Amino acid sequence: MADRKMITIEIDGKSVSVEKDTTILEAAQSIDVYIPALCNSELVEPYAACRLCIVEVNDGRKTKLVTSCNYPVRKHIRVYTSSETVLRNRKITLEMMLSRWPNVQVIKDLAKNAGIEKSRYQHPAVDLNPNACILCGLCMRVCEQGIWENIINFTNRGAVRAVRMPYDSEQPHCVGCGACAEICPTGAITMVDDPNQPYDAKMIRKAGMRITEEMIKYDEEQCDMRGVGTAHLVEIMDAYDLLPVMNYRYGKHEETPKISSDIFRKYFTKGKPDGCWLGCTMACAKAIENFELKTGPYKGERVLVDGPEYETLGGSSNMGIFDPYFVAEYNFYCDTYGLDTISFSTGTSFVMECYEAGVLDKEKTGGLELPFGAKDAALELLHQIGRGEGFGLIAGKGIRYMKKYFVENFGADPDFVFDIGMEAKGMEYSEYVTKESLAQQGGYGIALKGAQHDEAWLIFMDMVNKQIPTFEDKAEALHYFPMWRTWFSLCGLCKLPWNDVEPADNAETDEPAKVPAHVQGYCEFFEGVTGKPQTMDSLIRMSEKVYNFQRVFNLKMGFGRREHDAIPYRSAGPVTVEEYESRQERYDTQLREDAGIDPAGMSSEEKVAATRKHREAQYEHLLDAVYKRRGWTNNGVPTAAKLLELGVDFPDVIELVTKHGG
Amino acid sequence: MITVNGITLDWYEGKTVRDVIQEMNYLFPLLIARINGKLIPRNKYDSTEIPDKASVDIIHLMSGG
Ligand code: SF4
Ligand code: SF4
Ligand code: FES
Repeated sequence: MADRKMITIEIDGKSVSVEKDTTILEAAQSIDVYIPALCNSELVEPYAACRLCIVEVNDGRKTKLVTSCNYPVRKHIRVYTSSETVLRNRKITLEMMLSRWPNVQVIKDLAKNAGIEKSRYQHPAVDLNPNACILCGLCMRVCEQGIWENIINFTNRGAVRAVRMPYDSEQPHCVGCGACAEICPTGAITMVDDPNQPYDAKMIRKAGMRITEEMIKYDEEQCDMRGVGTAHLVEIMDAYDLLPVMNYRYGKHEETPKISSDIFRKYFTKGKPDGCWLGCTMACAKAIENFELKTGPYKGERVLVDGPEYETLGGSSNMGIFDPYFVAEYNFYCDTYGLDTISFSTGTSFVMECYEAGVLDKEKTGGLELPFGAKDAALELLHQIGRGEGFGLIAGKGIRYMKKYFVENFGADPDFVFDIGMEAKGMEYSEYVTKESLAQQGGYGIALKGAQHDEAWLIFMDMVNKQIPTFEDKAEALHYFPMWRTWFSLCGLCKLPWNDVEPADNAETDEPAKVPAHVQGYCEFFEGVTGKPQTMDSLIRMSEKVYNFQRVFNLKMGFGRREHDAIPYRSAGPVTVEEYESRQERYDTQLREDAGIDPAGMSSEEKVAATRKHREAQYEHLLDAVYKRRGWTNNGVPTAAKLLELGVDFPDVIELVTKHGG
Repeated sequence: MITVNGITLDWYEGKTVRDVIQEMNYLFPLLIARINGKLIPRNKYDSTEIPDKASVDIIHLMSGG
């Protein structure tokens, strides 16, 4: 966003400099000059319905009366907000309003302010309701422009004009966001449906409305979640060398623009919010309608594709495929077969690398040629997985199974397949390259459910901002963020509204990465439901109990020790010479500066080995620091003392951890 | 010379926060810029010039699932 041209104007003799196209009303507000404005809000476009905001404007030639809420400043003007003409006209308007809605508080207040005791007029359609609708149109504008719905509108004309839902019936498309009720200046709209009997529904709605306001005001310039959803991350991850390409070998590709959000913006159903549930105004789910399938059991049919989201796109680049049609097709069939696009794409990336390395060939795959970029074969593999047939029977069981299978049946080199098979605890990696962020390697490796980033996404903090340089800093981040993000799961909440839009003053807070205002909102949300006041610490504490308990559960099931937090080396550094050489300058510098080894005169093989030794040691240090911060033993087992402190010291739990040295 | 997130960059008269963001290819929208610790509002990135030898932080927040 470029800085706009500034224009200086005069309001009641005071000079003020504003960006071109600022309205007179906004300019006046910026220097605390009061102009009454009943039908205006920063959340919607001006409408000029009430005419209370009138001012006189002199452009050097003539003076005229205008509504200030929709008058854009384009050149030097003089504005008079309380001239005799202005006051006289405003008074007439207010008296008319008062005669029609004599008991509405905002009208009474405005009239009193203007020195009106009693209206001189008698209105034929006088409405004595203190919560009468004054026809300002704010509700329908916020519904249409702010929420992208079009649920309410004016019906009829003249004295019987009113705000209604179509046919006066309840609308299934109303998302129940409450924005119309919140913006209504008279209380004419109230939300009535509280089926879950929360402790304080108002508190919950207020917290929700703050997010809605931020979405309306900032989303387009921030993450554009409503426009393209998480797909906006594709080009960003590519720019930071973080988009997985060819089984996480590389972090960017020249063909990324072919699957960037700009391409999908064209295919996505436009102008319609698509939330996962009613009331969500972030509405980042996107859909492609009328997509004609080219393969599989529904070949030739036109269908609706639910997506794609970032992970599905990153999965495609990971397979070396940069084709939006392929993405839509594999997205649709994964959903249809009940497969996860991440597991399928990461698993297939592994298969493709094995194919290129000679671990697999056409014979072993039952005729499928599967180098990187083989989109037809990838789709055929997907259908085989869906049908439980052929090579799909092996690939469909996931990377952990394939690694073992390839070693035992195809004579694969175990070191190689274990280095490049991107899974942890049996779950496939999601779509981020973690090589340059030690903290994120931990974020994947230590995560309880396996290699997923939803416990912690620390790459920018660590790699770009360099905010968490020491092991202790990283361990602290790997304490706070996993606990915080676990809290969303405890409550069944989506975490995107926490950090995919941010308040205007977030940068001024002490810890912007935590988005403190939003954490506060979640405290209010919890209190609104349960009646129990919360703080950031108390929310974290809730998670800590559950998180530790889950770790013990993992332990019981044979997954909760240090050895289970190990990661494939591909996620920590370059496995092959080719990978090393593609980022040689970076790796050489790191050898010199971080590992204290002079790369001059070393062969690429030697450099790969030295880098590996250094990085693997770093990862072990990180585990030490994280376990310590979490109150776990050096083997990653929660101690009895920690469990006692958290109040989850049940006898069988204590018995289990004690057996494992905890 | 200036440093940006610990990386050394060339300095020239009139170099703005926006220039640095472009030079670093920082495409991510949720940024917080500080020059020698002082916060620069997002709508001033084009007009704020960076003095020589400044330490610039362009903090990236997080987004996504
Ligand atoms: S609750 Fe939301 S969607 Fe429903 S009418 Fe009001 S603003 Fe529109
Ligand atoms: S219902 Fe409220 S917001 Fe809507 S037009 Fe009437 S007074 Fe204005
Ligand atoms: S605020 Fe301008 S006409 Fe109502």
